[in-house]
Amino acid sequence: MASEYETFVRDRASILSGREIVLTLRDLTPGRKKYRGVNVRCAVSRAPRPGEPLLWIRSVVGLRDPEPCSVRIVEELPDTFQAPPYSDFFEAIARAERG
Amino acid sequence: MEERPLAQQAPQDFRSFLAATRASGDLVAIDQEVDWDQELAGIGRLSCERNGPAFLFNNVKDYAPQWRVATNPIATWRRMAIAFGLPADAPVPRLYETYAARESRPVPPVVVKDGPCKEVVIPGERADLFELPVPMVHEGDGGRYVGTWDLVVSKDAKSDWVNWGMYRFMIHNERLMTGFPRPTSHLGKMLLDGYVPNGRPMPIAIAMGCDPLSHLAATATFRIGGNEADLAGGLRERPVELVKCETSDLYVPASAEVVIEAEVYPDRINQEGPYGEYPGYRSGEMGNAICARVTAITRRRDPIWTLDTTGFMDSSATTTSITGAIAIQRRLEANGVPVKAVYVPPEGAVHLAIVSVRRGGAEVAQKIVNVLTVRRALISKIIVVDEDVDVFNVPAVLHAFATKCHPARGIHVARYEGKANTLTPAYSQEERVTRTGASVAFDSTWPPEWPADATPVRATLDSMYSPDVQRRVLERWTSLGLQ
Repeated sequence: MASEYETFVRDRASILSGREIVLTLRDLTPGRKKYRGVNVRCAVSRAPRPGEPLLWIRSVVGLRDPEPCSVRIVEELPDTFQAPPYSDFFEAIARAERG
Repeated sequence: MEERPLAQQAPQDFRSFLAATRASGDLVAIDQEVDWDQELAGIGRLSCERNGPAFLFNNVKDYAPQWRVATNPIATWRRMAIAFGLPADAPVPRLYETYAARESRPVPPVVVKDGPCKEVVIPGERADLFELPVPMVHEGDGGRYVGTWDLVVSKDAKSDWVNWGMYRFMIHNERLMTGFPRPTSHLGKMLLDGYVPNGRPMPIAIAMGCDPLSHLAATATFRIGGNEADLAGGLRERPVELVKCETSDLYVPASAEVVIEAEVYPDRINQEGPYGEYPGYRSGEMGNAICARVTAITRRRDPIWTLDTTGFMDSSATTTSITGAIAIQRRLEANGVPVKAVYVPPEGAVHLAIVSVRRGGAEVAQKIVNVLTVRRALISKIIVVDEDVDVFNVPAVLHAFATKCHPARGIHVARYEGKANTLTPAYSQEERVTRTGASVAFDSTWPPEWPADATPVRATLDSMYSPDVQRRVLERWTSLGLQ
């Protein structure tokens, strides 16, 4: 597990609710594999918790929230989501959240 | 076919193009270590914004010396001229004429058994996209993009139609990429019409570092069913040598530096974007993409990775300026518009076209905007001028637009849904999702129904002075030593 990730979200409030959600995280560990993606089921904490990786939240145009959160990764998910090409990604992960 | 000296021929591979640009002073090589994470692309970005040189980075952080990276191959008119085998200072209208002439003389490709792109063959199970020095182009992008200056090959499921396009692809992990060929693109059409309904994966091949005119052909607005490999051969005045892929029946340019073979899923997606794109913005067009799994990577032993540091005045500014303008002219001619010339100015970021017509007026302006939005609508502003305005003379075009376009009657709009350019920054997030938009023609011509003896006369030396006075003024001007 990396110590620092970022994620891109359409609805910032929904991921800060504290419940378990599905996200695509980008690993910010320096080196060749920086920005590697991983799909996870996780819970996000607005105030970073000790021992949890930092999570930077970016908007759909890539602007970064200046205050980091932390993320507790519950499980790693497959690297794709079931949906036809050009489907809305955020709706696909919402379906994945519901199981 | 006319045989010209080697120096006047179009470079037939990427390395000979780099040598030609270095010789003309249009390429700068950097031997110091440069970080692939934003710094490298930042240098390329600044160069675009300052009409500067292309760069060849010989020492990329985290990657072995065998890897080099080149930026923005034909982002300036000088480098575009070199790609055509013309003098670097060839004027823009000559580049347009050259493209139009060669486009009309396609040359089919030839198949060869082997090529430099096969020097190293890595099967899919051992493929790792992070072994490629793929730069992070902008801070805040969704990831690292392999396809900013690529040539993506795909084949129609029901016919022999092979498409070359230039589409962005982002690395997700070692073998998975997401991409954004628009649904209205030829690749998108092939995927949605021929593969998705049958649940079949669609093979693609992403070729990097081919000769520049093959990439130019890939960017061209070409007819459905048209083979861009034939177009590339015409532009190069030599056939493109193609070699078969390892894991599909697709063929790629044998001289390519790197080829990524992959399959697009008919039923799976992942996150793609956002990405700072050619209009000069990162507009939030993320989350509606396709997803592809790498099946093999082939490459040269000492490959040169290529990228376009997309944004204002990137390579699309010049490539689409030419290919888009010629395609617009051809389409308008085919639809009976009395078009004389078309220019797509690079500063308009592929959103603005200037069209001169032999006979103007409201009916012609509305027809132009209708014709150019039939299937998809990438250009959203069209300035229509009379034939006495030189479309390449932007100050003259602005003068005509500012003075001759009626603020109410001169505006002709076409609205549409499902085919708007989702990268257009002016659109809201809602319009982006539904691909709803509009295009407008600004009629900057004199209404043809106006009588000639009542139409305003331009107050310029060549229009409002007698020939005798013009002659005397010019003689005086010259005698004063003025240019």
